[in-house]
Amino acid sequence: MTATPTGGEHPGDDLSALLDGELSSAEEAAVQAHLVGCLACRHEMEAVSVARQWVRALPPVDAPFGLYERMLVPYRPRRRRLAMAMVGAAAAVAAVLVSVAPAPQAPVDPSVATLIEAHATSASVDGDPVTNLAPAGVPVSIHR
Amino acid sequence: MPDGTVPSWEEVARDHGRFLYTVAFRLTGNDDDAQDLVQEVLLRVRKGLETYRPGSLEGWLSRITTNTFLDEVRRRRRRPTDPLPENPDRALPPSMAADEALAGGALPDDVQSALRALPADYRAAVVLCDVVGLPYQEIADALDVPVGTVRSRIHRGRAMLRQVLA
Repeated sequence: MTATPTGGEHPGDDLSALLDGELSSAEEAAVQAHLVGCLACRHEMEAVSVARQWVRALPPVDAPFGLYERMLVPYRPRRRRLAMAMVGAAAAVAAVLVSVAPAPQAPVDPSVATLIEAHATSASVDGDPVTNLAPAGVPVSIHR
Repeated sequence: MPDGTVPSWEEVARDHGRFLYTVAFRLTGNDDDAQDLVQEVLLRVRKGLETYRPGSLEGWLSRITTNTFLDEVRRRRRRPTDPLPENPDRALPPSMAADEALAGGALPDDVQSALRALPADYRAAVVLCDVVGLPYQEIADALDVPVGTVRSRIHRGRAMLRQVLA
């Protein structure tokens, strides 16, 4: 604290303590009384009050995704980690293959004919009315 | 958790992960150092290096985090080849527009940069007070300094913040 021309003392650190509710009521009254007559201290009070609000308004920060999960890894049993890694590697290889290789266009004609035959056979047994709409032996209309 | 039982680090990570990371981020000012700090804190908790006093678990955690941070700052200071976490040349934020300052608003990134420009001891006191919300006496216990020192660091820290972001 610094002596003022009038013999009082600038509150200094007590200004922040006042904002934080850390002063006794007697101390608080003394600081308030000083503030009334001291422009410099009112400015100082305003400055620390603004800074205090800034920091208090800072939002909580989420930990990066996986930070705590990664810390669990070193304590996981070794074999399981290896198995997990292999599953992961296999999945990665499969993903690469799927993305690189174009899906082969399998010739479908014979199997469609087979399916129709099979359907017609089972439908004739079950009495499926669809059989009437798609009688057996018409692969030509599909086959062109 | 029964009173007096030291919480496991898994409990800390599960129930207080966000709080812990927030304190670490406000102290260090960047993600890499914050992650390192969090890991070191959990390691200390796991090894049982920190005496647990039943009470506010977050107060206990922020004490460990702050002291781990200050230890690291001192360690790097002794080995100047490591970059200091406080480097005013790098940490000085852009000045705020006057109208923004007048409106009382400040962008979180700017406030974070300004915090980083404070000496580590001041920053620790300000974070414990204004981010964690600890009373002065608890901050004094956490930092192992007299309450008068806490009072002074908080006040000067705030005054510097206001100047940096003026």
